[in-house]
Amino acid sequence: MRRLVVAALLAAPAALAAQASIEGRLIARGLPADLVQQVQRIATEAAARGVPSAPLADKAIEGWAKHVPPARIVSGVQLFAGRMADAGAAVRSGGLSNPPGNVIVAAAEAMGGGLAADEVRSVVRAAGSAEEAAPGLSVAASLTAQGLASKQAVSIVVDAMQRRRPMSQLLDLPSVARSMHDQGMSAGEIGSQLLPHHGDEGATGRHGDRDRPNNVPPGPDPAGAVRP
Amino acid sequence: MTDGRAFGPETQRYLDGEPSTAPAAGDRASADRLVGLVRSYAESLTPVDPALDEAVMAAVRRRGAVPQGRAGAWHWLVTSHRVAVRPVWVAALAAAAALVVWLVPRAPVGRGGERPLALAPAAGPDTVFVRFELVAPEARTVAVAGSFTGWRTDALPMVRGANGLWSVTVPLPIGEHRYEFVVDQTRWVPDPTAHAQVDDGFGGRNSVIVVGPKGLVRS
Repeated sequence: MRRLVVAALLAAPAALAAQASIEGRLIARGLPADLVQQVQRIATEAAARGVPSAPLADKAIEGWAKHVPPARIVSGVQLFAGRMADAGAAVRSGGLSNPPGNVIVAAAEAMGGGLAADEVRSVVRAAGSAEEAAPGLSVAASLTAQGLASKQAVSIVVDAMQRRRPMSQLLDLPSVARSMHDQGMSAGEIGSQLLPHHGDEGATGRHGDRDRPNNVPPGPDPAGAVRP
Repeated sequence: MTDGRAFGPETQRYLDGEPSTAPAAGDRASADRLVGLVRSYAESLTPVDPALDEAVMAAVRRRGAVPQGRAGAWHWLVTSHRVAVRPVWVAALAAAAALVVWLVPRAPVGRGGERPLALAPAAGPDTVFVRFELVAPEARTVAVAGSFTGWRTDALPMVRGANGLWSVTVPLPIGEHRYEFVVDQTRWVPDPTAHAQVDDGFGGRNSVIVVGPKGLVRS
């Protein structure tokens, strides 16, 4: 009982601190007080639905940096909050009962990029953990944004996860697709190349920087460079 | 002794309590008188608290064990102490900490005049160098701003090269990043060579880059 009391005493200021931190960030970036209040209101309502607050503050800051009018910032933040709520539900139904904020954000961005809720669910199920779910969703969204059908993009990602391919290969898929695109392949052809029946070669891609050590600046090496 | 003479050896042994001694009668009387005086003086003293001995010895032991000066302070810091705190003080201190967090970053900054930010993402084991490039011969300044700069426009200025090619190489954490180029500090331009372009939620487009652990990325 005593521990419960202490936990409650400590939790309340922590929540207050989280809200205060968002307000502080927005004010520090120069957002006017009325806009800060509106964003905070949206964040508070979203938090009650299990939506993380920090990405909403990031979205508001992005809009302010881009000189977006405050009214449109508010509507953009509101839209993003709603999308994150839907994304959170999809992620939870995929098996992550208490997903971290980055997974919800990745799912929201993926749904904003054209993935359906059941496709998000498929990726989360295949990932099995939050650590793999977020990059998996990002890759699927990126492939979709490059023109692949969302169903095809999700199949590629789910297959890579089920075959337990290294995360490096999964995260390389957008670069591989971009490289194929630069070689003149259509989105359909790229999808076919990356699809599971092409086995290892499809997933590993064909660009030439596989052996380049990590953290090496690009330099003048057009043959080895991968365009995003 | 009382008359200025020292006691003889026999009298001194008598005063020491040796039973077989027999001092001279005059010396014995003087000695007995002296003993009486000492006894009456002793009886006039206030009795000593029996716990004083233990208290004094405990203090001596502490002083012997605890080093003084800085070492003493350090010893005090690393030694466990029994402290009684009311729960309300825990809540009050936590609330005070939250208030400090709330107050510290409140200094407003103008919309156009964001604080200079010297921090680009630091290189580490989970970072990959990404080279951003944009051909903009007419531009006076070009910067890259995105989720990795907190959308600050002054964090990653690009350098002009030959033929109006602006570039900067940045260590980025593995994962997805969204960004745009900022031309002449006012115009936001998506990267035409990014992995993807997505809606930014404000009617514009963000460029997307997915950085893998091994992939060398060039924009």
